[in-house]
Amino acid sequence: MKKLFKLNPWEIFAALIAAIFAIPILLIFISLLAGFNENFIHIYNVVLYEYSVNSLYLVLGVSVLVIIIGVISAWLVTNYEFFGKKIFTWALILPLAIPPYILAYVFTEIFEYSGPANSILRSLNLVSEDYVLPNIRSLTGAILVFSFTLYPYVYLITRVALMNVVKPMLDASRILGLTKIQTFIKVILPIIRPAILAGAALVVMETLSDFGAVQHFAIPTFTTGIFRTWLGMYDLITAMQLASILLIVVCVVLYFERYQRSKQKFAAAGVKSEPLSIIKLNGWKNLLATLFCFIPVFIGFIMPVIELIRWAIAIDNNFSNNFISASFNTLFLAVLAALITSVIGLVLNFNARIENKKSSEEINNFVAMGYAVPGLILAIGITQFLTYIDFILFNTGIIITGSLLGLIFAYVIKSYALSNNVIQSSYKQFSIDLDDSAKTLGSTKRNILLNIHVPLLKTGLITSFLLVVSEVVKELPATLILRPFNFDTLAVNVYLLASEERMYEAAFPALFIIFIGLIPIYFLSKMIDHSRIVNE
Amino acid sequence: MQIYKKISLLLCAVLFISGCTPTNEVNIYTSRHYDVDEILYAEFTKKTGIKVNIISGSGGALMERLKSEGSNSPGDVFFTVDAGNLANFQKGGYLQSIQSQSIKNLVPKELRGENDEWVAIAKRARVIFYNPDTVSQEEVMNISYEDLASPNWNKRIVIRSSSNMYNQSLVSSLISNLGEKNTEAWAKAFVSNLARTPQGNDRSQLMAVANGLADVAIANTYYIGIMLSGKGGAEQKEAASKLKIAFPNQDNRGTHVNISGGGVLKHSPNRENAEKFLEFLLSKEAQQHIVNNTFEYSVLDSIEPHPIIAGFGTFKMDKTSVADFGKYNPAAVKLMDRAGWK
Repeated sequence: MKKLFKLNPWEIFAALIAAIFAIPILLIFISLLAGFNENFIHIYNVVLYEYSVNSLYLVLGVSVLVIIIGVISAWLVTNYEFFGKKIFTWALILPLAIPPYILAYVFTEIFEYSGPANSILRSLNLVSEDYVLPNIRSLTGAILVFSFTLYPYVYLITRVALMNVVKPMLDASRILGLTKIQTFIKVILPIIRPAILAGAALVVMETLSDFGAVQHFAIPTFTTGIFRTWLGMYDLITAMQLASILLIVVCVVLYFERYQRSKQKFAAAGVKSEPLSIIKLNGWKNLLATLFCFIPVFIGFIMPVIELIRWAIAIDNNFSNNFISASFNTLFLAVLAALITSVIGLVLNFNARIENKKSSEEINNFVAMGYAVPGLILAIGITQFLTYIDFILFNTGIIITGSLLGLIFAYVIKSYALSNNVIQSSYKQFSIDLDDSAKTLGSTKRNILLNIHVPLLKTGLITSFLLVVSEVVKELPATLILRPFNFDTLAVNVYLLASEERMYEAAFPALFIIFIGLIPIYFLSKMIDHSRIVNE
Repeated sequence: MQIYKKISLLLCAVLFISGCTPTNEVNIYTSRHYDVDEILYAEFTKKTGIKVNIISGSGGALMERLKSEGSNSPGDVFFTVDAGNLANFQKGGYLQSIQSQSIKNLVPKELRGENDEWVAIAKRARVIFYNPDTVSQEEVMNISYEDLASPNWNKRIVIRSSSNMYNQSLVSSLISNLGEKNTEAWAKAFVSNLARTPQGNDRSQLMAVANGLADVAIANTYYIGIMLSGKGGAEQKEAASKLKIAFPNQDNRGTHVNISGGGVLKHSPNRENAEKFLEFLLSKEAQQHIVNNTFEYSVLDSIEPHPIIAGFGTFKMDKTSVADFGKYNPAAVKLMDRAGWK
């Protein structure tokens, strides 16, 4: 009995943090209590089927593509030597710097009747004068846009997992007489499967929450429906109900994924860490590997950057001083938010692991749902929560809402899934026996965390930091509604111009976003590489 | 550990202070994002010494923030595009009546809220753009929005998605004038006349007509101004020069016009400054400035449109109460859903 009342500071801290961050998401679910009104019935009868089917196709198409691109490219750069491999190792992450809606704009310009793609085909006399490439503003176009901007999630997390595949495993499979393909399917795939699923889950959540790209392509998806209901029918409650339904579906899918994952436990840490030897590719295999890695980098990064530069040059761009302060704001917020998010991700996952309680893990996963909520809807949940806190704490003033503190709070909720998925999948890779031994030897929890887990999770923590930085650099809806007076970030600059259909002028700040996003991507990918060398 | 605590306390303090503000100021929540607006704000500060603080964002989100902030809100002025937005916000009781007599004298009644809760600052017309190579003069003579439902326009029209507020308020104005049933029949026939699934923005529609993908497009007037001015690049300038404008419904109620407008927030802590700010936006110099840079129409009769826009001629404006746009907007969205307008 006494034990039951013994306060465990770790658990309390974890529960408290999880609770605070879960409230804005819960606020969205509360809408379900209001009952369904006529607007909901209209949506249900007239458009819900179309929304659902389109969203389903979108999610399926994107998942398949990102897994193909992400896993194969990660496999190639981890285990083979081929032309340009050193560059691809980090270049494959670059598309993370491009927000999907910007790629959507770029795609449209390039593939439009008068755009470069059609013009080149016509000028080469490859096609007749009035030939037009298939319309890019379509479901297929949207699948391409999301796949080529989001595959780096799968690539990065899979790559981290592949580094933990060690030589003895392969030797064993070879001794047992498995072919290379059998080895990949029976030995490697099960090991990296949690990582692939964790990456794909992030992609699915981001795809479902995105509004900019599907709006520009005018594809009726669930998210489009949510916004029409709110902004067109002036019905926020029904919009939140739709968002809740979307979240419940996402929950079920993620739960299933986690259930599948939990059936397997891996303990690579017991084996002497001897990585796979790298195989040199020659001839057409070399070419094929290079091509396979080049295509996603080209479509997801090089092409949009060239096109944006073309736009920026096309008009006399008066460089605004605003960009400097906006860049500073962006970088400052991104780094701070990424640090805080990663620390919270570490602490919550540490707690879930050390307590080995199902409930801790569930709370943790609930907070991660924030990633799947369409940004503006989440931002409203957060605004309601923050104004309420303001009301309680300060009574007569609005202090936290519209402060940087409020903004960072929003970023943590929005990007927690990134941190959580990466850290969770890193944790899955080393055995729990390690903790038990440490406990037996009398280590405190703090010791286990700082001296054992942190060094082992280093790559995962770096990846988490990197993903959150690149997410916050691009983040828009929460920034728009929650920022202080006279405060701009680069994404805000792009949005303000793009919303006036001034894409050419938006190209300049968009390039700035990409540039800022590149700095952490470059350095951190070097660090991942470095950590591998140290392991070796 | 002590030092960490100090640092984090300091950090918290800094983050908090960044949310506080000084006194002689006016706080604007705006969903208009033109560069010219910022120049105007600076001009206002220079003239009056009143500091202008801005949060710009999407209209819907700003309204939600204002609602949540309630009586504690620092907001003084809400400034947005689309009359439906304004009317809906006013209906929620978030705006107070404007007292300034000069504003009431300057701006015609139909461009103000019922009890002067808001006032229009600029106008934009939603018109028919056509390609004179493929559309004859007779076809667009005395054309109306209603005419676009006739089989003559089969597969010849482009327009953007029905998620766009300009389309929603156009259809709201049709509901207000024709009734919901007739408007729905119109929308069904209109959708079947579209040359392609609605997509892209207003400029994409103009580009589509210029490139021969369709013969007519419905879009806002100021876009052609921006394109012709060269601000959108050489390609857009060339495309826009191929297009002409037909102002619909000239022989009956007039062409559909939407507004940008602003109102004083109910709990405005600086209400005098808020009114001064609106008065300033309606001054001749500010209006001239807006017209010259955004290619919108002035709300003052004395101010001529930008020469590029003036070149398309004058027109009769639909005086349907803009409050109706807000009233019928939800019905318009559902109607467009049923009509299959993506």
